Amino acid sequence: MTDPLLETDEFDPAEETESSAESARRQPRTRYQLKDDTGFDEVPKKYRRFYRRWQGKGDSLAPNEVICPVCKVVIRSTRDLRPGDRVYCMPCFSRLTVIAGESGGLEARVEY
Amino acid sequence: MSVDGIEIHARDHDGFLREVHSFEFWFQSVEGYLADHPYGVDPKAPVPDLEEPERDALIATLSTYCVGEVAALDGSSGMIGFAPNRHSKIFLATQVVDEARHLEVMLHRLSELGVEDAEAGFEARANPNLLAFRGRLMEFVEAKDWEASIFAQNVILESMEFAAFHSHMQSADPRTAEMLAGVLKDERRHMGFGENDLGRHLEQSPHARTRLREIKKELDALVLATFEDSQRALGTPASERTAVGKLYLESVARLGFAK
Repeated sequence: MTDPLLETDEFDPAEETESSAESARRQPRTRYQLKDDTGFDEVPKKYRRFYRRWQGKGDSLAPNEVICPVCKVVIRSTRDLRPGDRVYCMPCFSRLTVIAGESGGLEARVEY
Repeated sequence: MSVDGIEIHARDHDGFLREVHSFEFWFQSVEGYLADHPYGVDPKAPVPDLEEPERDALIATLSTYCVGEVAALDGSSGMIGFAPNRHSKIFLATQVVDEARHLEVMLHRLSELGVEDAEAGFEARANPNLLAFRGRLMEFVEAKDWEASIFAQNVILESMEFAAFHSHMQSADPRTAEMLAGVLKDERRHMGFGENDLGRHLEQSPHARTRLREIKKELDALVLATFEDSQRALGTPASERTAVGKLYLESVARLGFAK
């Protein structure tokens, strides 16, 4: 389980044998400023910036977003998400782990 | 815990569960979408004039929804007495309030549609399959059977309602759609509570799956037939009706009840 709050190590060029996936995982995280401007109103005010509604066709997920498989809300993080990260879906009380989806994008799996 | 400047997702699971199952969390959540919305709608929103066939179909569908809401109101209030822990009791208390509100807003919409004494007649207009489902749910509740009650109500009924209301909103008149949107936001909590509570329970008691699988077989037919009928009455094309059951099927598959 990767804690999104934890700093990742800087890339070490001496580690020549690591795979590109491992290398990507070790890159510093991109930080995102979450503004409470998504119109999401289903959780207490202080948490609203962490969620938004999926807008359907034409919408896409940013690197810091993943869809909750239980209630289909878009969950947002202050950092880019990577497989192994844990996220919470407050609108439906779910704890999720970010995984690499079959389509190549990030998905979330419920952890009861 | 303040979230200013920190990542919500770094919280510990126990703390997260303690907060989302609290009355305080519920109150601050519903305040966001129910404040200044009497009967779940903007008071300035006009009451649309519907053609008779559309009006009749809406009356029949809302009557069926009312039976679902009464089932969940009676079910969740009864379950408080034998819920296994304080979190569940408090959550169910908030669900009781939600279900009572849903029933009230739907009866109000029926009266706006010209139905006299909406409360007296909704069962007669409702789908018989859902009436049978309600009877079975209440048997589980009366037997104080937590596993079966939470599965029937918060997994099967709530996820089917969530999917049906979401689908109905796409074609409903604006006033009905706004009313349903508010109900849908509550349903997210109800079905999420059900799946997560049962998921944790099944991890501790995997043998319970065998019995729940039999219950699912029995109740699937009643719930799926109810919503198939409602979708047909609302004019949803056959090709889109299966999508309504998809969310429910995904939920039960995650819990290990795939066909």
